[in-house]
Amino acid sequence: MAVEDAPGLIPPEAMAMVGEPLGDPVSGEITRKEAQRYAKAVDDLNPIYFDEAAAQAAGYRTLVAPPTFLAHVVVQHGNVADLRIDGIYRSGNRRGVNLRAKRVMFGGEEWDFLLPVYVGDTVTAQTRLHSLEEKDGASGPFALMTTETTYTNQAGQVVARARGRSIAR
Amino acid sequence: MSGQRYFEDVQVGEELPPMVKNASRAQLFLYSAASSNPHRIHYDREYAAVEGHPDVLVHGPLQGAWLSQFVTDWMGPAGRLLNLTWQNRARAFPERDLTFRGRVTAAADGVVELELREEDDTGQVCMPGTARVALPRRKGVEA
Repeated sequence: MAVEDAPGLIPPEAMAMVGEPLGDPVSGEITRKEAQRYAKAVDDLNPIYFDEAAAQAAGYRTLVAPPTFLAHVVVQHGNVADLRIDGIYRSGNRRGVNLRAKRVMFGGEEWDFLLPVYVGDTVTAQTRLHSLEEKDGASGPFALMTTETTYTNQAGQVVARARGRSIAR
Repeated sequence: MSGQRYFEDVQVGEELPPMVKNASRAQLFLYSAASSNPHRIHYDREYAAVEGHPDVLVHGPLQGAWLSQFVTDWMGPAGRLLNLTWQNRARAFPERDLTFRGRVTAAADGVVELELREEDDTGQVCMPGTARVALPRRKGVEA
């Protein structure tokens, strides 16, 4: 196989994963307490997160969750024994994408909010490898990895999609 | 919070009133807990130095949540945030002013597009972004 000799940051095995799930779907319930704890930590005291009447006056069925809380409600807590030196859990259920890179940096996010997410909803997230591209930057070549997470509520409705970009060099 | 904004009142080119955030270390700790993020660079200064940072860092997603708040506060409760994007370009630190600025770049059919950025206290852009929001129309007004 000439695979080992192929140049660039993206091995063929990684490229072959494009479109595939990077782990099993993960579900989480949006509880009032956790959604409000998140809003308070952000210091975003929008009444639609705290006051039922205000949420209804704004056209919602009941209290809504802050839009960006979705990413956190589906985080699965590991065990303390699984913490790495940097404090992050060793990836359990998640399939890693192995690139020929020394450093991976978080590059940004792109969210489509399609339907309201309410306190009491159960949201399921499925992440796929959306794309891998090798690019030339001012400080050398880098790989741009994009993952896409689809968030679905208990009624099977897609409530949001989030694309996350990482830069590996 | 600045009340409800209506589509008819929005002008292409208008600037959003800036929003300033200045995170304490305690707020970063609360956000780590509320977002289930145990990464040490956000609360352990000594460890942050190991990863090459002069201080603990403000979480990228916290800055994203602030960008969301900047937009949702501007649009008012009856507005709907449809799309939000951001790029984390430079590190942001606690106990320093982070200013969110924005400008209306398009407005059509009840939908407004915004160009956004977060700057630190040296004027460096830490996080550029964009948003698309749907705004209500004033009652009895036909487009």
